[in-house]
Amino acid sequence: MTSYRLATGGLVNRAAPLAFSFDGKPMAGLEGDTLASALLANGQMLVGRSFKYHRPRGILTAGASEPNALVTIGRRERTEPNTRATVQELYEGLEARSQNRWPSLDFDVGALNGLLSPFLGAGFYYKTFMWPAPLWEKLYEPFIRRAAGLGKATHEADPDSYEKSWAHCDLLVVGAGPAGLAAALTAGRAGARVILVDEGSMPGGSLLFDTAMIDGMTASDFAREASAELQSMPNVRLMTRTTAFGWYDGNVFGAVERVQKHACDPASHLPVERLWRIVAKQALLATGAEERPLVFGGNDRPGVMMASAMRAYLNRYGVAPGKATAIFTCNDSGYRLARDLEAAGIEVTAIVDSRPTAPPGYRGRPRVIANAVVCQTKGNKSVSAIEVLHDGRSETIAVDALAMAGGFSPIIHLACHRGSRPFWSEENAAFLAPQDLKDLRIAGAAAATVGIAACIQEGSAQAAAILSELGISCRPAALPNVEAEEESRPAKPLWSIPGIKGKAFVDFQNDVHLKDIGLAVREGYGHVELAKRYTTSGMATDQGKLSNVNAIGLLAEARGVSPAEIGTTTFRPFYTPVSFGALTGAHSGYHFQPVRKSPLHDWAAKNGAIFVETGLWYRSAWFPRGGEKTWRESVDREVVNVRQNVGLCDVSTLGKIEIFGADAAEFLNRVYCNAFLKLPVGKARYGLMLREDGFIYDDGTTSRLGEGHFFMTTTTAYAAGVMNHLEFCAQALWPELDVRLASATDQWAQMAIAGPKARLVLEKIVDDDISSAAFPFLAAKEVSLCGGKLHARFFRISFSGELAYELAVPAGYAESIADILMNAGAEHGLQPYGTEALGVLRIEKGHVTHSEINGTVIPDDLGFGKMVSATKADFIGKVMLEREGLKAADRLRLVGVRPLDPTASFKTGSHILEKNAAATLENDQGYVTSSAFSPHIGCTIGLALVKRGPERLGEEVVVWNGLKSEYAPAILCDPIFVDPTNERLHV
Amino acid sequence: MSDFRITLRPALGSAPRPGSRGLSITAMPEGHVVQVLGRPHAPDLFGVLERATGAAHRSVRAAGPGQWFIVGDAPLSRDEFAALSTALQPHATAVDQSHGRVRIRVEGTIVERMLAKGTAVDLDPGAFPVGTSAMTLLGHVSVHLTRIEIAAFEVMVLRGFAESLWEDLVRMSVEFA
Repeated sequence: MTSYRLATGGLVNRAAPLAFSFDGKPMAGLEGDTLASALLANGQMLVGRSFKYHRPRGILTAGASEPNALVTIGRRERTEPNTRATVQELYEGLEARSQNRWPSLDFDVGALNGLLSPFLGAGFYYKTFMWPAPLWEKLYEPFIRRAAGLGKATHEADPDSYEKSWAHCDLLVVGAGPAGLAAALTAGRAGARVILVDEGSMPGGSLLFDTAMIDGMTASDFAREASAELQSMPNVRLMTRTTAFGWYDGNVFGAVERVQKHACDPASHLPVERLWRIVAKQALLATGAEERPLVFGGNDRPGVMMASAMRAYLNRYGVAPGKATAIFTCNDSGYRLARDLEAAGIEVTAIVDSRPTAPPGYRGRPRVIANAVVCQTKGNKSVSAIEVLHDGRSETIAVDALAMAGGFSPIIHLACHRGSRPFWSEENAAFLAPQDLKDLRIAGAAAATVGIAACIQEGSAQAAAILSELGISCRPAALPNVEAEEESRPAKPLWSIPGIKGKAFVDFQNDVHLKDIGLAVREGYGHVELAKRYTTSGMATDQGKLSNVNAIGLLAEARGVSPAEIGTTTFRPFYTPVSFGALTGAHSGYHFQPVRKSPLHDWAAKNGAIFVETGLWYRSAWFPRGGEKTWRESVDREVVNVRQNVGLCDVSTLGKIEIFGADAAEFLNRVYCNAFLKLPVGKARYGLMLREDGFIYDDGTTSRLGEGHFFMTTTTAYAAGVMNHLEFCAQALWPELDVRLASATDQWAQMAIAGPKARLVLEKIVDDDISSAAFPFLAAKEVSLCGGKLHARFFRISFSGELAYELAVPAGYAESIADILMNAGAEHGLQPYGTEALGVLRIEKGHVTHSEINGTVIPDDLGFGKMVSATKADFIGKVMLEREGLKAADRLRLVGVRPLDPTASFKTGSHILEKNAAATLENDQGYVTSSAFSPHIGCTIGLALVKRGPERLGEEVVVWNGLKSEYAPAILCDPIFVDPTNERLHV
Repeated sequence: MSDFRITLRPALGSAPRPGSRGLSITAMPEGHVVQVLGRPHAPDLFGVLERATGAAHRSVRAAGPGQWFIVGDAPLSRDEFAALSTALQPHATAVDQSHGRVRIRVEGTIVERMLAKGTAVDLDPGAFPVGTSAMTLLGHVSVHLTRIEIAAFEVMVLRGFAESLWEDLVRMSVEFA
């Protein structure tokens, strides 16, 4: 016989049928069902195949801990594998498919693994597939992975949206069962900001299937009334379908809200899941308790279920487990199920109680077999009989369902996420949450409190205590009157059971059985962390919610110690699996990262720019013109035009920092390795900034615009880093200096106007005298433009090696000024140029960037040795620059390199070998840091860091690209390929 | 006199406006934003700032220890900026950031819920009353957030990120459309 739906009862809506399918078979459920309850209602007890042995598996639990009933739901791009049928709400049209079976769930070839099981114990793969080693990666592992497994994810893109949100409260209550509801009501009525989260679709927790009467109402009605009151309070947020999955520093809780996981067609304006970070002043865990399985032969057969789950299916969903049910218990809780089954008219064939006697007060009709155990189940794809050991003999009893009640483990995961370990309580026969946690308390069954009345009382009391800590006054509320049967007290746990013949599963999801635990101990993996890894017990999607405690109990017995000595493995987030979609939130695809646009972005776009992503910036890389077929043609033209006429380049992305204060010059003098103290007002200077360890951090020009006002530029990449560095220097290193910093990168649009005709263009719009006499190389000052219509900052600095200026205007005027310049420069051949041409120009001139300043170079390596001040008392990097290794003769130093054959080329990153030396890393002489085709030289040129580089100019070498086995004979040369005497800068 | 006409291009000039129920996102006029850098270890300068801003339509926003923003909807002329700058001396330095920062007004009854999708700051009126400011991340973008009315916030952002932030804000509001 199979499970079936009762004619009456439960919280399901019998007027609202929902059609769904399982493995293509049409089925009907009801509104309020989970997929699991609907499958049981349809008599579908076999729902999947196990991970390793492909054993038939059914539905074991009614909640988050389910290890067996994992199915794939949805189709195409909405395929979702490993969905726990026990928490998935049923919706119209839901399509579910079983997993890890071929060709079908009923007939699964992989079940042959079961015949091989004597060989497949823990450690089998490690021991067997060691040789030959290369086959592990190529053959064994892929094969094993294919044979063993869970569901398969889809390769199609997720069509749904996700988001994240923050929430804040005085009190976060996790779990809306009796303790959680009572706590939220107490705090809510006192006016505190309360958030109550519950993973279920309705608040209530165990109240939704309990038969107790509370204040004259059914327990579920009490839960409904309490939730309605909470929902009416503006200071309370009640979040259902929300799992708190982690507890983090700062009393921040991670939670995932399944906004539309129960919807057939998710609405597009809402996310399907929302990740919450809840900042709580105080938190209360009212997460309840997990019932423990019992470890006997065939305890995984469909039809075997946790006793509390059976109560939930019976009372909440109106589903009977079968026609003839047995209950195997080691405590009183099994008897509550017996009463509920009896009340529903379902035959209880036997109650098998491991204790010497049945509870004295029990007066039910079912046969009680005390001092007995179930050692074995029988059946094919579902249980048909059980073998009971009692009074020294074995008895076979025909049943179609078996409930197991192994006692309760408080659910304390969140309390253990920040490093504290739980402790074993002999009195409660369970691991309890660490004590004295900061800003976190535990109430109800999660604190091993037994009984609805006690849980309500404790929830309310804990909330009152929290409110008093927060300084919120609260009146003690009258507690409801609870009429419930005597609750079961914790009993001695039953770890090992005699007479087991078949496999007795400890971890259902990973197919870890009793013998594996024993094997682990015998082979020296008896430590709880080692046993976990050796046997895989407690791994995978359920993380051992059911299995860990039994594994610990069995390890303790095998080693002859208390579970207290064994301890637990480490608890880590997440409590239940969280989708990558939720963790990513809205930041996917185009929105993966923000886009940062230069104020000249639209100007560049309308001039045809091709953009390149540089960090978050989009920089114009080159500006193709009609007839140009390759990027190189465009770049060569732009380079030549700068050398012959004039070009305009957007350099707004470079970092700009305003530095003010009476001590600004002294500050810069300490930050840079070269001198800045006496830089005259109206002058710019190239500055080299070192790290404390003596290596170069960043470079740029800094101009003195006033006695106590400097304007620093940094590289694009290090703009934020330099700002942070300067703030650290000002705030932490030298707080005594009067220096104030402001990032001005976005305030100013900056354009480089470079080329022999630059002055001719600029003279048209700059009102001031910019002749070489009035405004020589490295001059810097504020100028007025277009007859005083606008004021700008003007610098005579050059990265290209040509006569060049940089003009900075307030960002909102950038496009207009660039248009004006283009207009004014047309007669002189002004063209825009991009970062590619900028790169070629600077390589030709031997100017370095972060390609050379790569964290391994000191000033002397780049030929800047003389810049380093010998007279300054101190600057950042000064002391460490004296280290022996930084003075070594064979350091890699900057040189130029060009191919002997002008038609040959080489790539950046290639290595330098001595002529005729073998291509080995032992012979490595250095590497190419930058390379480009130089229209000026007419061939590829490069900058390279080479051992003793400057001493080897003229030496023939080989440029070796080891990745592609390319060799280019080349010659080391001066890194300045254009205008080595700097005449062009000064025209 | 030069013939060239210089025109201003607002950072969010062409951004579309979302039509959301009970929620509006508006690019504020690119008037002025002046960053005020107090001298290190200076006493509280709020009084100085109040006097310096005078009766003009400007507001002062806290922006970290010894730092403020003075903002207003009207552009500041060169002379006005100089006068403001002088009024702050010797206690503080004024830095013109009128072009470097863009202000967006977000308003509506559920504005806190919308902004909570981006910021970790507790925006409950009890914790973040009118006039309070905070530097915070809104999603991936750093912003300066001020409650300017009980149901309205000013979000100030670096100009380069303005469009990206606008898109984020629009997306955050879709749920309430």
